[in-house]
Amino acid sequence: MIQRFVDACSATEDATAQALFRVAIGACVLFTLLDVVQAGLVDVLWVDAAYGGMRPLTSHPWLIHYLGGANPTVIHGLLWVGLATGVALVLGIGGRITPLVSLFVVGSLVDVNGHAGGSYDELLQNALWLLVLSGGHKTLSVEAKWRTGSWWPEVPILAFPRWLALWQLCLMYGATGLQKVSTYWVPGGESSALYYIMQQPTWQRSDMTWVASFYPLTQLATFVTWWWEVLAFFWILTVWYAATPDRPGRLRAWSNRLQLRWVYAGIGLAMHLAIFATMEVGPFSPLSLSFYLLLAHPHEWRRWLTRRTAPAAAANT
Amino acid sequence: MSPSSPSSRLSNVGAWGRGAFVALHLFAVTYMAMPSAGSGLNRSAWSDPTVQNEFRSWTTRLNTLGWGITQDELEDHLWGIASGYEGVRSAILDPFEPYFVYCGTWQSWRMFVAPHRYPGRLEIEVDHGEGWAPLYVARSDEHTWHRSQLDHDRARAAIFRYSWKHYRVHRAAFTDWVARQVMAEDPDARRVRVSWMRYRTPSPEEVLAGKKPEEKRDLKNTRDLTRMRAAAP
Repeated sequence: MIQRFVDACSATEDATAQALFRVAIGACVLFTLLDVVQAGLVDVLWVDAAYGGMRPLTSHPWLIHYLGGANPTVIHGLLWVGLATGVALVLGIGGRITPLVSLFVVGSLVDVNGHAGGSYDELLQNALWLLVLSGGHKTLSVEAKWRTGSWWPEVPILAFPRWLALWQLCLMYGATGLQKVSTYWVPGGESSALYYIMQQPTWQRSDMTWVASFYPLTQLATFVTWWWEVLAFFWILTVWYAATPDRPGRLRAWSNRLQLRWVYAGIGLAMHLAIFATMEVGPFSPLSLSFYLLLAHPHEWRRWLTRRTAPAAAANT
Repeated sequence: MSPSSPSSRLSNVGAWGRGAFVALHLFAVTYMAMPSAGSGLNRSAWSDPTVQNEFRSWTTRLNTLGWGITQDELEDHLWGIASGYEGVRSAILDPFEPYFVYCGTWQSWRMFVAPHRYPGRLEIEVDHGEGWAPLYVARSDEHTWHRSQLDHDRARAAIFRYSWKHYRVHRAAFTDWVARQVMAEDPDARRVRVSWMRYRTPSPEEVLAGKKPEEKRDLKNTRDLTRMRAAAP
């Protein structure tokens, strides 16, 4: 069994899925930073009170500590480097060095003020680390064009970073579900958690009292969300079953027949769209959905994208 | 390449090294992500009305299920379990600390674990010598001072924390920042006040009946701008 695990960790796959993930996370890096710039919050939240910031920032991330503290010069410098890494990730420049620099720089910025962030910052940093492990820069990138003459060469890379990223996604949902132990969430109660969360002024985009007219729907959504999150650990199993359809097993056949992988994804997508429409929670939804790109096996991506691009290419000739 | 050639042995070592790394990564992130009280392990935070409401609901529920326990007993019981659990958890995760710090693999997914039934709505007011007038009221379209900043999700995260009693020091620093902005922008302002309007979120029945929640001004922090101006270099 250990030998099989070791072999699985060395398995390879086409780089397309991990490359798409790289592009999406690069866009999320840009969104994360530009959103703070656009709101005029860089010098308010990320700079120490001694230089005009909102509060004294005494406990710095290691990089900011070594650079001399959260002063405007350091923070603005890191911001520019962070933006450059976002662009480089989207374009696929710099190999594994780019996500590593992005992890250090963007991670330092979003962590410098521990009060002004959320779980999305952790999700972003986990994604960047997984990109350091990934060979996603080897296709759909400037680097691929330069090395092979093609934008989209079929390059085999290690598959395990994709599986780690999928586990990260399931772990995030599953762990948050297990911690939803409030009587408002746990089945058997009034299932009113989502209704009351939508009434909290902290995260709502606008007044949500109108939701009271649809209270039973919010109860259903609470019930579905809780079960969906708690069972998210099994989502990765459905992806594995879809990737290995020729192996035996009734559970595998059943999961593949019902397309459970996409049922899970559909509920997740609906949940994120609802969150995005009603709540102000920063880059959480786009970041989470970036991980969904890895649900499809690389050969599925290649098949879909070839089908889409082939007619266009034929029309151009 | 024969099975025992140096390059084959090297590749074998690489495969086993990769396998060991993946196994350790999976253990570290999975264990780290498991439920934890985190900053919630704080007796002062437990006295918040929202948390007290949760304890009350759970006590009722457990009583219904046949476990005769009082709310105080439940709190003490949970405090003991959580403290012990956090101690073991921290001892197991300590060796992985550098991996979490330098590789950004922290796992803390306490997202919307419970609705905040007694939330606080931030209000910033200014006094020009004629009493308090609102400058900024959270989610208001009328009082929108520095709205692009204060309505941003990162500022909301900070403001949400400052609505908890035990963030007293940080609430004071936030008020100082607000006072500095008002002082720079409004030379006639005499005082500024930062506070949170506390209320119980209305039930669907109360909303449909048109019943407005009772509000109470809480966590008031006031700064005398005249004095601040006089003290400024």
